[in-house]
Amino acid sequence: MYELLLAGIENLLHLKYFLPLAIGTLIGVVGGALPGITNTMTVIMVLPFTFGLEPLQGLAAMIGVYIGGESGGLITSCLLGIPGKPSSVATMFDGYPMSRKGEPGRALWLGIWASFFGGLLGGIFLVGTTGPLASLALAFGPWEYFSLFIFALSMVAGLTGASIAKGLLAGAIGLVITIIGNDPVMGQPRLTLGIGWLEGGIPFLPVLIGVFAFAQIMGDVEKMGRSSVDPAADLVIPKLVVSHSKVVWEILSRPVMLLWTSFVGVLIGVLPAIGGSAANVMAYDQAKKFSSHPERFGTGTPEGIIASEAANNSNVGGSLVTIMAFGIPGDAVTAVMLGALTIHGIQPGPLFISQEPKLAYGIFAAYLLGHFIMIAIMLVGVRWFLRIVLVPKSILFPIILVLCVVGAFALNNTMANVYVLVLCGLLGYGMVKGGLPLAPLILGVILGDQIEINLVRSLMTDENLWLFFTRPISGLLLFLSVASVVFALWQHKRAQKKGAVEDDGADF
Amino acid sequence: MKLTRDGWTGLACLVASLVLFGFTIGLRDNPLVPIGPGFYPRIVLGISAFLAGWVLVQSFLQPPPAGKGGANYRLVAGVFAIFFVYVGAMPFLGFRIATLFFITALQSTLEPPRGAKGWAIVAVTAIVTTVVCYYLFEGYLQVLLPRGRWTDF
Repeated sequence: MYELLLAGIENLLHLKYFLPLAIGTLIGVVGGALPGITNTMTVIMVLPFTFGLEPLQGLAAMIGVYIGGESGGLITSCLLGIPGKPSSVATMFDGYPMSRKGEPGRALWLGIWASFFGGLLGGIFLVGTTGPLASLALAFGPWEYFSLFIFALSMVAGLTGASIAKGLLAGAIGLVITIIGNDPVMGQPRLTLGIGWLEGGIPFLPVLIGVFAFAQIMGDVEKMGRSSVDPAADLVIPKLVVSHSKVVWEILSRPVMLLWTSFVGVLIGVLPAIGGSAANVMAYDQAKKFSSHPERFGTGTPEGIIASEAANNSNVGGSLVTIMAFGIPGDAVTAVMLGALTIHGIQPGPLFISQEPKLAYGIFAAYLLGHFIMIAIMLVGVRWFLRIVLVPKSILFPIILVLCVVGAFALNNTMANVYVLVLCGLLGYGMVKGGLPLAPLILGVILGDQIEINLVRSLMTDENLWLFFTRPISGLLLFLSVASVVFALWQHKRAQKKGAVEDDGADF
Repeated sequence: MKLTRDGWTGLACLVASLVLFGFTIGLRDNPLVPIGPGFYPRIVLGISAFLAGWVLVQSFLQPPPAGKGGANYRLVAGVFAIFFVYVGAMPFLGFRIATLFFITALQSTLEPPRGAKGWAIVAVTAIVTTVVCYYLFEGYLQVLLPRGRWTDF
């Protein structure tokens, strides 16, 4: 394993792979620093540029975006009190007060180095567990796969949004999208309404791009022209000089907290659709609970910054485990990566690591190297990234939408995918306005075909439906599916009693 | 009884599920395979209809969420309209011309330019984005962008 990893790192150091990784990381940091531009949006923008590249080049660029984005968000969180993205919200709780107390450099670099160490711990988990988990999944038959995908979908539906019914409904809408087109067994057209370009089915990337791009952009457009407050109006770049050895020691002198919060991040990353924002807040909460001085949280304590940033970067490692071992995306960014892989004819899943070892270990290597590149980029340009907030959204949004169109069109050089993008843009915005979460929809669209294929395969092998329940792993997964829905129902009831129900908080 | 936001969502999804379910009835089973093309869609649409009904019923039982208000829906509609025109016009005008107009129109809508400097920024952004996208994708990344039927450009 380690020989392959070293070979992967050596391979990644070649300019043809290193350059996309470095550029991706830079774009990720810039995108992360832009308030309102999430990692998903940045990776969607980068997606069309990867079509003409080799798979590893494209994936290295996307992993760079992912790592850079997770770290870039803390710049504005710490220095301006504006989270660059949802997964930097908790970083702001202590990062901004510390900056206000006259230590902006310390606040910023505590976050950056915590991201680095958290990310590397996530990398150890990624390298160490992907292979064994994939081996476990190799023993799966169609019954187990069907149950695994149902479990993933039910868990996401239960964990997102204020209502379990709406979460499940959103997942079902995702599944409905996948039944449009020719059936997988005999190729008979279904629900195409006589529209020719629907016969091939609806590819999930234009759905994902449309749903996320429009849901996010239109959410921001709604607020434009209403607010007269310009967050960057009185932007003053502070002095960020700091002793790096002191900052690193501040982090490493808290090994238990660093390990625990990184583990929280990884664990949340492994769960489908529960991404960096949940990891960021939950790790902050954990650090506060275990701290001997919880009253200091929110006033500029280093623990708050370290916990939240270590968790959101280790979360990336967890998300990559799920997609590489099971073919289930851990969040929207890995969903886009899954799409990029399928464009090159590569199917992530249990066989991925054994059939594509060069690519798999290249991904591990890109993930590990990306953190070093991120540190280098921050050392050189952190002062400049703060100026990013000055770029008006009226310039950014048209460019993003053009890249979305190019991304959808370039999938197979047809306008049909652009029309899907438009329809899904409307659907995504409509769902947000209707209070339906987007995470289950996307997971439904990604897993829908696989759910159907595995259901059909299992029934064609043996028509006995009880096998889904009597085969131990399948039965366990179905039990966990029901349990996750029941648990979510109980949680929602409890939250309703407390009056603390909030809408969609997922990262998908 | 007045429908809330969730009520409308549930109702719309229920109607769509039932209509699509109706379409699956026309799908014929094949004697060669034990499972017909309508088997799985009927399960999925049945489940989505049930869930939509659940959301609808729930909307009557629970108080509606307080609206945040203040959203600029006119601008949202404008952005959607410009985007529809862009996508609709692209097969006729081609990527380059359509994109140039799209970026100009959308920037001007999102933040109306003030004075000559404002218009210069809009024009430069539109031209640079169009040219860079075109040469980067066609020249370097081998992605052929749409040509216009009317313009052949």
